[in-house]
Amino acid sequence: MVAALKLVGVRKSFDGFLALDDADFEANTGEVHALLGENGAGKSSLMNVAAGLYTAEAGRLFVDGQEVVLSGPRDAMACRIGMVHQEFKLVKPFTVAENVLLANWRGRFAPGLREVERQIKTQAAELGFAIDPRSRVDELSIAERQRVEIIKVLLAGARILILDEPTAVLTDEEAVRLLTTVRTLAARGAAVVLVTHKLGEVTAFTDRVTVMRNGRAVAVLDSRSTTANELTQLAVGTTVAQPRRASSPPGAPVMTVKGLRAARADGHVTVTDATFHVRAGEIYGIAGVGGNGQTELVEALTGVRAPLAGSVELDGTGDTTGSPAEALRDLGVASIPADRFGYGLAGGLSVADNFCVGQMHNGCYGTWLRTDSVAMRKATGRAVGEFDVQGVRNLRQKAALLSGGNAQKLIIAREFSRDPKVIIAHSPSRGLDVRACAAVQERLLSARAGGAAIVLISDDLDEVLNLSDRIGVMTRGRIAAEFAAPADRQAVGRVMVHHA
Amino acid sequence: MLEQAAHPAPPPLSLTGRPHALRLGRINLEVRQSIPAWRQALILAGAVIAGMAISAALLIAAGVKPRALLDEFVVETLTDSENLHSILFQAAPLIFVGVGAAVAFRVRFWNLGIEGQMIWGGIAATFIAFYEIGPPVTRLALMMLSAALAGMAWIMIPTWLRLRLRVNEIITTLLLNYVALNFLLHLVYGPWLDPKDAFPHSPQFHSYERLPEIGWGLSSALVMALVFTALAAWLVQSTRFGFYTRFVHDNPRMALAVGVPIKAVMLISVLLSGGLSALAGFVIATAQEGRLTQSFFEGYGFSGILIAFLARNNPIAAMIVAVLVAVLFVSGRSLQVFYQIPFAMVQLIQAIIVICVAASEFLMRHRLHWVR
Repeated sequence: MVAALKLVGVRKSFDGFLALDDADFEANTGEVHALLGENGAGKSSLMNVAAGLYTAEAGRLFVDGQEVVLSGPRDAMACRIGMVHQEFKLVKPFTVAENVLLANWRGRFAPGLREVERQIKTQAAELGFAIDPRSRVDELSIAERQRVEIIKVLLAGARILILDEPTAVLTDEEAVRLLTTVRTLAARGAAVVLVTHKLGEVTAFTDRVTVMRNGRAVAVLDSRSTTANELTQLAVGTTVAQPRRASSPPGAPVMTVKGLRAARADGHVTVTDATFHVRAGEIYGIAGVGGNGQTELVEALTGVRAPLAGSVELDGTGDTTGSPAEALRDLGVASIPADRFGYGLAGGLSVADNFCVGQMHNGCYGTWLRTDSVAMRKATGRAVGEFDVQGVRNLRQKAALLSGGNAQKLIIAREFSRDPKVIIAHSPSRGLDVRACAAVQERLLSARAGGAAIVLISDDLDEVLNLSDRIGVMTRGRIAAEFAAPADRQAVGRVMVHHA
Repeated sequence: MLEQAAHPAPPPLSLTGRPHALRLGRINLEVRQSIPAWRQALILAGAVIAGMAISAALLIAAGVKPRALLDEFVVETLTDSENLHSILFQAAPLIFVGVGAAVAFRVRFWNLGIEGQMIWGGIAATFIAFYEIGPPVTRLALMMLSAALAGMAWIMIPTWLRLRLRVNEIITTLLLNYVALNFLLHLVYGPWLDPKDAFPHSPQFHSYERLPEIGWGLSSALVMALVFTALAAWLVQSTRFGFYTRFVHDNPRMALAVGVPIKAVMLISVLLSGGLSALAGFVIATAQEGRLTQSFFEGYGFSGILIAFLARNNPIAAMIVAVLVAVLFVSGRSLQVFYQIPFAMVQLIQAIIVICVAASEFLMRHRLHWVR
């Protein structure tokens, strides 16, 4: 059988960094083929070569046994290769139909919108999606936008479908639905490549798996006969132990939140009535489907956004409702934001600047009149070593050059360097690979052991369940239910969905 | 279903995916992760040279002989000591506006109101002189102080609107220039009209109200400009305030979240910018013109922005660029006299160089290479 898509000896470097080093890949018609690897292993790069976005420095590409050269995504589309990217490529103020028309690979606008709308409806019905072709993309949820992307590439004629980490943005239920659809597509004659770093998806929903490490394909396995352990070992090189929470009695309440109410910048009230407390030496997990007020809750707790009503009390300080970020930080509140490069780091500035900014105001690094760059470099160097931030070639290197996991480690190094009393961690391991994820969770657990009170807000239910002593489920801006560990996954999931 | 997709089968691959052997080389673009300083300087120099070449072509097309171009811009500048003095004389106010623009741009406050602040600087200094406030010994210092304060007060209006009501400062600073201009015209045509010659300018300042020469034909205005440049450079490079401005510039949301007092940092930067711009007005009135005139500020607003841009908001670099722009100003004036080239040509040259440098940014961010 001739492979639908075959890449041989692909090499690609970015400004001296070798992202793909002699990588091979092969996917057949009718199969769902997983492409597994850690962040930075080269999965997305390899698929971007297949989709015509990157030009490889060396290597060959075959479609149905015939060698092709792609000079852009348009050529890839002509070879019927379609890719759904992690960052959706949709024009937000346009309707679904307009977006599909825009991606029409031969620019055939003649049939008009009505015809496109008809095609979308047919295609959506076949896939079991409920999509109104006339709704605007910015009114759709993340999962719906992803469905639009899939319909878009299918209508453009794709039969080699590449999905780049499609489930990273989805809830459990949505992910299962998507993967089921993907199986149907393969059964009907498509070749589907599923880029992922979730082991469960590989073993449950795919036929074969190619494991990548350091820019090479290290193994091709039958998904059904492999195990999660074997895959981890291949992807990481070693086995990674899941961090475990030791049982210890919690102390007195450190942060008490009562009836908190907060709104988004556009005035929409998303936190309606949040009430909970977190004790010393305890992780209080907040689970919930994204968009139920988590972001605004975090902003209100960290002083970025002033709440509309309610109170936040800190043990030993009293009422701190509405205190600005700098005051809260002085009181020992640390924050690990979900959007690392949006709220956690200044990407254009150096690693040292980003580390030291947290302690600059209290004179650790010189006076008002003179910043002490030697002390800054020393402290940063020590923290980079201690928190195992890799990829720092030079402390003056821009923080934007760090990978997601190392950026997160740098943020944690900065936030934990002050021995915080309260830690607000929002989706701390989102988008991180197995090893970085374990390292981040390990840090949270050791802070817990050190007596810190931790609020863990996460869309990843497994993370919340594994780490938390108590779990609150947030729906529609309030804590709808609380569970003590060990919580029943099903019960928590039910509250997440049914109160939403 | 997929086989009967909406579109027919793709055309033969030769139409789109070309066979390997026939493929020609082409330029490939790559995003650079980092760029060494020397390469950056090389690209920048290349851009400036390209800009100068285009400008030279324009001047030649406008009737200036290539020989004269070399004479005016290079030979005269370097050899003629009088010319050198007028360049350094011209440089002082340009340094003030350049550094002034740079400190505001460092916190992403787009101060387009440099001319308005200059006008208020001139008015406030003249006010002290006109009403003879304070003894002659302290007169000049008082004029300088009031000029700086007036510029700060004037920029407070758009700053307050921005910080409180989120009104875009690009619009407000720019439009307030016209308010300042009309007030200036009211003064020089009305209460401050020079009674001696009835021209629209204030009466001549006394000698103790003018910035003195300090020998070698140099004005103390230049010394002042250098002192303020050094202060600004120290402030943005070595102090905690300067450290914070980098965060406000790079990622204000993050700065807020890690407890940088961004409002205070912005306020200080913007006030400095207004004060420095106003001092440019003070310097022109007290060192160059010796009075308040109706058009002393013209062209400085744009030049200030340009200097800050070319200097990448670095005060020391701004000082150097300001001297180069001064060369352009002085040479442009003599071209005006000898070749009837309008002074607007100077602004055109400035604009061409800015566009070339802005375009060179692309080469700093990307690496081009030839792929076969």
